[in-house]
Amino acid sequence: MLSIRNLSKTYGNGVRALVDVSLEVPAGMFGLLGPNGAGKSTLMRTIATLQEPDSGSVRFDGIDVLNGKQALREVLGYLPQDFGVYPKVSAETMLDHFAVLKGLANGRERRAVVKALLERTNLWAVKDQKLGTFSGGMRQRFGIAQALIGEPKLVIVDEPTAGLDPEERNRFLNLLAEIGESVVIILSTHIVEDVTDLCPRMAILAGGELRVAGEPRQVIAELEGQIWQKTVTKPELARYEAEHEVLSRRLSAGRTVIHVWSESDPGEEFEGVAPDLEDVYFHALRHAGLGAETALAA
Amino acid sequence: MSRNFREIFRFELRQTFRSPLFWGTGLFFATMTFGAVTSDSVTIGGGIGNVQRNAPFVILQLLSVMSIIGVFVTTAFVAGAALRDFERGTHELFFSKPMAKLDYLGGRFAGSLVASTGVMVLCSLGILVGSFMPWLEAERIGPTLAGPYLFALAVLVIPNLLLTGALFFALASASRSWLVTYVGVVVFFAGFFVSTLMLGDVEHQTLGALLDPFGATAIDLATRYWTVADKNTALPPLSGLLLWNRLIWTGVGLAVLSLSFATFRTTAGAPTYGALGRLLRRRKKVAVEQGSAAEDAPALVVPPASRDFSSRRNRSLFFHALRRETVGVWKSIPFVVMIAFGMFNLAGSSVVRFERFGTKVYPVTALMLDNIQGSFVFLLVIIVTLYAGELVWRERALKVAEVTDALPGPSWVPLLSKIGALWIVILTFLTVGGLTAIGIQLSQGYTHVEPALYAEGLAIEGVRFLLAAVLAVFFQVLCNQKFVGYLAMILFLISQTVLASLNFDHRLYRFADTPSMTYSDMNGYGHYLQGFAWFNLYWACFALLLLVGAVLFWVRGSESVWRLRVREAKARFRGPWRALAAAGLVGWVAIGAWIFWNTNVLNAYVPTDEQEHRQADYEKQYRKKYKDLIAPRIVDAEANVDIFPDERRVEIAGRYVLKNKSNRPESEIHLQLDPRVKVRRLSLDPKWRTHFDQRLGYSIYELPVPLAPGATMELSFQLMVEERGFVNQNSDTSLVYNGTFFNNTQYFPVLAYDESRQLQDRNDRRKYGLPAAIRMAKLEDVNARRNNYVSGDADWIGFRATVSTSADQIALAPGYLQREWKVGNRRYFRYEMDRPILGFYSFLSARWAVKKDVWHPGKENVAIEIYYDPAHAYNVDRMIDSAKKSLDYFTVAFSPYQHRQVRILEFPRYASFAQSFPNTIPYSESIGFIADLRDPDDIDYVFYVTAHEVAHQWWAHQVIGGAVQGGTMLSESLAQYSALMVMQKEYGKEKMRRFLKYELDQYLQGRGGELIEEMPLMRVENQPYIHYRKGSLVFYALQDAIGEETVDRALSRYIAQVAYQEPPYTYTPDLMKILREVTPPAQQGLLTDLFEEITLYDMRATSATWTKRPDGKYLVKLTVDAKKIRANGRGVESPLALDDSIDVGVFGEKTATKEGKKQETVLYLAKHRLTQPTSMFELVVDGKPIEAGIDPLNKLVDRTSDDNRMKVTAAGT
Repeated sequence: MLSIRNLSKTYGNGVRALVDVSLEVPAGMFGLLGPNGAGKSTLMRTIATLQEPDSGSVRFDGIDVLNGKQALREVLGYLPQDFGVYPKVSAETMLDHFAVLKGLANGRERRAVVKALLERTNLWAVKDQKLGTFSGGMRQRFGIAQALIGEPKLVIVDEPTAGLDPEERNRFLNLLAEIGESVVIILSTHIVEDVTDLCPRMAILAGGELRVAGEPRQVIAELEGQIWQKTVTKPELARYEAEHEVLSRRLSAGRTVIHVWSESDPGEEFEGVAPDLEDVYFHALRHAGLGAETALAA
Repeated sequence: MSRNFREIFRFELRQTFRSPLFWGTGLFFATMTFGAVTSDSVTIGGGIGNVQRNAPFVILQLLSVMSIIGVFVTTAFVAGAALRDFERGTHELFFSKPMAKLDYLGGRFAGSLVASTGVMVLCSLGILVGSFMPWLEAERIGPTLAGPYLFALAVLVIPNLLLTGALFFALASASRSWLVTYVGVVVFFAGFFVSTLMLGDVEHQTLGALLDPFGATAIDLATRYWTVADKNTALPPLSGLLLWNRLIWTGVGLAVLSLSFATFRTTAGAPTYGALGRLLRRRKKVAVEQGSAAEDAPALVVPPASRDFSSRRNRSLFFHALRRETVGVWKSIPFVVMIAFGMFNLAGSSVVRFERFGTKVYPVTALMLDNIQGSFVFLLVIIVTLYAGELVWRERALKVAEVTDALPGPSWVPLLSKIGALWIVILTFLTVGGLTAIGIQLSQGYTHVEPALYAEGLAIEGVRFLLAAVLAVFFQVLCNQKFVGYLAMILFLISQTVLASLNFDHRLYRFADTPSMTYSDMNGYGHYLQGFAWFNLYWACFALLLLVGAVLFWVRGSESVWRLRVREAKARFRGPWRALAAAGLVGWVAIGAWIFWNTNVLNAYVPTDEQEHRQADYEKQYRKKYKDLIAPRIVDAEANVDIFPDERRVEIAGRYVLKNKSNRPESEIHLQLDPRVKVRRLSLDPKWRTHFDQRLGYSIYELPVPLAPGATMELSFQLMVEERGFVNQNSDTSLVYNGTFFNNTQYFPVLAYDESRQLQDRNDRRKYGLPAAIRMAKLEDVNARRNNYVSGDADWIGFRATVSTSADQIALAPGYLQREWKVGNRRYFRYEMDRPILGFYSFLSARWAVKKDVWHPGKENVAIEIYYDPAHAYNVDRMIDSAKKSLDYFTVAFSPYQHRQVRILEFPRYASFAQSFPNTIPYSESIGFIADLRDPDDIDYVFYVTAHEVAHQWWAHQVIGGAVQGGTMLSESLAQYSALMVMQKEYGKEKMRRFLKYELDQYLQGRGGELIEEMPLMRVENQPYIHYRKGSLVFYALQDAIGEETVDRALSRYIAQVAYQEPPYTYTPDLMKILREVTPPAQQGLLTDLFEEITLYDMRATSATWTKRPDGKYLVKLTVDAKKIRANGRGVESPLALDDSIDVGVFGEKTATKEGKKQETVLYLAKHRLTQPTSMFELVVDGKPIEAGIDPLNKLVDRTSDDNRMKVTAAGT
């Protein structure tokens, strides 16, 4: 459905936001994982017609996005990262405004759509309240409501769960999951669980380059037998970090559990564990190029 | 000072010095003062005038005004200091620290105050740097002194900032609301303006000076009568009213501040204020989740909805966006505040703006439109600039842009809806202005509401703002940075004034700059409309190009790289945009060509500097050679003048009879004509022409046979003047559709060097290498008295004219109507004068209503006729009454009236004077016809001006002075005296006192502004403040001293002696001689003081007590100081021995007179001969004394006239 070819973008200050990124995104939920500053938002904005790449092309469902922005906008639903609202406008008014702008000309139909979306995002009860008074979670749900106006075929949500409490995050992800399966949904995030929980396909972006792409199950499988775990004390940590490739460390009951990557048993009482997506993620951040072929094959 | 305080203070300062608001406004203000110092086209609170550009007085004025304007900015600093932590939610971080509340508040306030002061320091720097600019003339720059800056900062600026800072800090922290704070600012200013206006006249100045919170009135009062020398060197003393004012208001500031600190609440949220608070506050409710989590919500299917992306749909999308954008601005606080401020300003300035001598003018719509232009629409500059930025950046500022930019819908929708919203906002603003003005009219009982005229006037006023809105949006789009966009707009605004000051006058390259439009009730907008329409159409086409440019470069998304923006613009440039751009370009070029044809081909385009250059050349080339030329003089003039009002054309066929009045043959005729006048035929043979200067309109003809002494010859001419198309500037106001008015010096051949064509302005003269001042010929110059001061080529002439005009108008010229007839659609009038008149006559044509009356029917039978605009009938009867009473007085006191008719003719308000021609008095619609004389307490200046003009039939048209010093005293001062006497007879002495107080004030201010030399009255050199203002005072004092009848008798003798005299013309010593003869010896010194010298007095009552005597009478003990001062022409003073008869008076309670007006009872009033600096009087009066003093009726020239009397207190208390 969405086909990104050799996309590159370098900003005026020399930052290379995208380096020759190519990616095929089929219908369904697609997770785009990457740390802050990886180029995720640049990629999202480029797909959403808000930015011009230096080179490369984007096609969606027969639309040449870079030269047919208007056509794409007609099928796009976009929830940008860190978006604002008119603080003194009510949720319903604002959503209605967006609906008008999305081409919903018929007033009766539009009101029905607005009502349905507000109900679906559980905002109907507060529809008359000013957006400025909304909590972060309500605001994100409002954001997805506006993105879903007009039955978009391509939905882009850029880091929607950052800063949400677990309950709100679940609520939000559930909303995403309800969107029909024929729609391309790109979920950009730096939270691994978002992808694990939700996305049949995913990619990892770091330093502007595509590091991994594929189905989560498949990319995890590639690390099978290479992830080792050990519980260490604080003073030992520095030594392990020097001698092994430590992917992650986390505290557990006051002690530190580390995951290291090694193609063979690193010894020292490390025990092998089944890799998860987090291991893939941290591994990808350290190793460029892995899984690129998979991405192209998809 | 605690450490906490210092830290808070330091932090506050740091915040400010990093804020763009501080630097933006600071630099903007500094640019304003810089501009004011370095150019005449930027004025702040009145121009600099002719004092040095960095004179202490100028520094004081500029910084004083800036500290007042600056309140709008400094409030942002102090209110920010009070509100920031609550807005950002950081207040809990601060108030949970171990810190005294006072440290926090003191530090915040002090920091913001220093920041505010910083802005003013930048203003000072603007002046300082400006004074070093190389293009300024060296003599206009004084020494650079620290004193004036420090004085201004310490005495005016800082106390003002402290006061307003304290007030609005208090208001902000009490209300926790920006809206309330700025509404407070507006209310404060409204109160300030209204009180300044109410207390602005001479009768309330002490109270006004104390109540002005900014101290500006006190400064004005202290410097009111300063001469240029004073302004260049001195600072007002920090004493008296100024000191009290500063102490009072600084005290108020500190009190408010302490109160505010004491009641400061450290908790968030606004106070309740009961119902008022509920009104002011917006309902703030935090959205609370209702219902349960999303999982429980039914997974609703969104119903299908049809979508429409057609172009028709785009149009409705546009209107949808337009409505949202417009409502957004309407509801925004700054807009509401500016509208409110504009309304207050308009109302305040309309209360007193049109007063003359304290008498109101009917608020006719034309004046209200002027007022809207002057005190209301300037806010639109700010609104357009500000909201162009706000609207263009709205989505991005709120971070909604990424959502909206990714929505479908064409890019022109947001752009055009923003421009459209800006337009609606402008129209809203103007409409509010119009409605306010109508409200003001109604509130003053003026019910002739003209909505259509308002619509027209406001539209005319508004067009340039509509165009500027497009430009401002274009800048914002193109610059793609809000503050750069603002900067571009500010630079554009500055460039407009800079271009003007550099004499780049042509409106073909001055964006949206249209000729200024004057509406006259008589002539409407007249011929101005044509040029206005074309220039605006021209710039509208250009705006269309800007609009297309803005559409092409409108940023959608986050791309700001130029290469990519250009690529995108190219992609967008197709279809309708190409067509629009082409239409705009073609229209722009075509209309531009049409304008050029009109302004530069049909008419001569003469930029200001070229005009000045011509005037300078005229003087350089001809003054020396020909000023004293003896040439044949005009003794008779006859003219056929055909006025075509609709075509703005006049055809003149004239015939002069010239006579050689000298005693040798004359062969040269010097003929001067305005270069715009076309000569169709001239009886002088072109072959005789020895000099021809087309540019300056000066030709010399050499007669083949010289004209023998005493011989006469004819000079006949056919001329045509036509206003074709439209001009760039200085549109002619003589030939108009309704209200044509011109005199012979404009279009007829002038046969002598004409001093009135010379450059007058001192600085312009210097620029062209001319002596700074043109002085009048000395009194002793007998030669100069060969000419009277009105015309240089004629003495007394015979005059006849046939004037024709279109069928619906009346045409007028001096003389009596002999015959009136019609040919086709033309009306003809034949006027003949039955006795010689001065060589100064006028022609008028308009659609008038006429009111006729007769003075002394059956006896002299003088016809009185008022020709007036039908809408201006208000004071016609007053004029008739005044004319009759003037004739009553003058014919008895002076001499018979030489004509059989007095005609007063209204002309459009392009000029605002009345002027007396023989039996003909053109009178501007703006000065008497619309005076509001309904309040009988007001000074009836219509009566007075009419009497003055009628008096000119004696003083100018019977007695005319030679072209030497004192010439204008013989016409203007004597006309003033005559009018005063008529007015005194009609209205009584009490009114005269009030009237003369204005005259005194004007005289003293006038001498303060004197640039060259103040002359004694009898040597006045055409200085209006002397021959009018001082003339009134002098002659009133004279008749007070020697009696009205004595003066009248002297004047009557004078007329008998010199009326209709041939050259050499009379001069002031002739009159003085008679006055000396009729004045008793004791008063001879007074004549010297009044006429021959500049004499000032300083009178002061120092103590006054009463004791009641056993017989029931009161003994009043009064001590007074009296000083007499002589000033020279430069204002340097020396003391003079006192030996004068001066009024001493005691006054009792006010009682009602017959007419129900309150008047004080005069218990004692008599002249006493004073010789000592201090005198004591013991006076016995019948009633209870209230006030007593010396010169209590202000008959003497005294700069502090209100300390002459004081309250009388009981002795021993």
